[in-house]
Amino acid sequence: MDKKVQLSGKFKIAMIILIVVGLISVAIGFITEDGKRAWANLLLNNYYFLSIALGATFWLAIQYVTQSGWSTAYIRVPMAMSNYFIISFALFAIMFLGVHDLYHWSHPEAVALDPVLQHKAPYLNIPFFAIRFFIFFVLWIFLTWRIKKLSLQEDKIGGTELFKKLEMTSKIFIFVFAVSFSLFTIDWLMSLDAHWYSTIYVVKKFIMAFFHGASVITAIVIILNKLGYFPMLTKKHLHDFSRYIWALSLIWGYMWLSQYILIWYANIPEETVYYIPREMGEYKALFYTELIMNWTFPFFFLMWNRIAKSANWLLFTVSVLIIGQWVELYMSIMPNTIDSHGISFVEVGTFIGSMGLFALIVGISLSKIPSVPMKHPYLIESTTHDH
Amino acid sequence: MKTNILGVYDDENDVMHAIDKLQEGGIKVKDVFSPFPLHHIWDKLNLTTRLPFATFIYGAVGGIATFALLYWTSVINYPLKFGGKPLNTLSFIIIMFVLTILIGTVFTALTFFIRQKLYPGKEATLPDVRTVDDKFVIVIEKDEDMDSAELTKIKSVLIETGAVEINESDVDYEA
Repeated sequence: MDKKVQLSGKFKIAMIILIVVGLISVAIGFITEDGKRAWANLLLNNYYFLSIALGATFWLAIQYVTQSGWSTAYIRVPMAMSNYFIISFALFAIMFLGVHDLYHWSHPEAVALDPVLQHKAPYLNIPFFAIRFFIFFVLWIFLTWRIKKLSLQEDKIGGTELFKKLEMTSKIFIFVFAVSFSLFTIDWLMSLDAHWYSTIYVVKKFIMAFFHGASVITAIVIILNKLGYFPMLTKKHLHDFSRYIWALSLIWGYMWLSQYILIWYANIPEETVYYIPREMGEYKALFYTELIMNWTFPFFFLMWNRIAKSANWLLFTVSVLIIGQWVELYMSIMPNTIDSHGISFVEVGTFIGSMGLFALIVGISLSKIPSVPMKHPYLIESTTHDH
Repeated sequence: MKTNILGVYDDENDVMHAIDKLQEGGIKVKDVFSPFPLHHIWDKLNLTTRLPFATFIYGAVGGIATFALLYWTSVINYPLKFGGKPLNTLSFIIIMFVLTILIGTVFTALTFFIRQKLYPGKEATLPDVRTVDDKFVIVIEKDEDMDSAELTKIKSVLIETGAVEINESDVDYEA
């Protein structure tokens, strides 16, 4: 049961091919278009996989803080996903080359003519932007490194002393994550349109990260179970995983409505400017697709008990949600950045490449650590979980 | 008057073990009383409930009824334009959302109370009052055609699995 995940050579080669496809499509994006589109796509995909890794780590921290027993056998999956932060740090660092292509507020000549941007300049300027970015990533990498270190130490020693330390670190992570991810979202996504702001925007992205992080954990656990790992996985565990997805889809829909209905109701031009191109313009179809994929479909689909306990149907749901999150971020980023809309080779290729990179990093990280924390105090509760 | 055999236990795990042993021996466990909810019991005794489905129906009906109420009041009976919004408007959703939850919860609670024949001030009919304190009780129905061999078998299984007492009770409680 405590065996490590073996990565097949085929998997590695397939993922490297995907990464190469991604690199080629980014290069094509830079050559054929004006650069904006490639940068926007890089931002989308970097943010996408960072939010999944962060959401998964948040999920892990929740398990420690609530002292959940059922999930203990699977906590190594989010731990492996948190290794992606270092890669994400490098990828976001490259994004600094494209800051002028993406962010209007980064041009001093534009700020000079614009009183709103002048007002926001003490916060929205490139040096402070870079400092914040650096601090956030250092905090995330340090805290997840500490969680992983303590958990691996626990494999040797056991006992409850380390569990208490892990619980404390998880509490700190939850607090840090709530503040830092909100500010990070304001920096990288909301400031694409520096004139517009919404107080619920970051809450929605926070829920999105948790929602899709939990979905991807479920998918990885099910796939590994099909490959012969996690023999303890039962319908009860699947039901608990799907409860997470179902409940979070409801909260996501609630946040979507909270943002939309307040802006719709108040009908102030400074606020409705966000929704006019999205709901009425060329993005109309994707606007409703986003809601249907992320809320309507999982909410009504997972309501059926039989589907909520079936590994194959859960995999299907998660694959819809993976595209759903992409659509959500596309709707957040693209109307403010690219000039000509549409989904082309650049969009698909960049996503495929990033997904290959993410899968490769998570796979390698999982193969380095034992797949089950053998001396975790709640392990028996997890393996005999039957309600 | 029907009588029940009661196996009184001190420990939750003994109860779980006893249920398995009794069912292996072909003895039907009628009921289990416990000071706190035991989720495992659900599967072990093959219990079923239609209450979640009833909640779904109440919620669906409640949502539609709320929409009908809002539509009738603000579109048909007293159409009043405000804020340039259409009469049949998106702000219905908030009231529909809240009233769906309210109607679903209240009617589910009512259904539960009616089905369990509960009402405020009702006196508890328990086969053993100590189950609200620190004891667990397994209830086995004593049929009239049970011979003494069967009864001794039931009692021996109960004692083997750690019952601290074996009683008989003719309290007619509502299952």
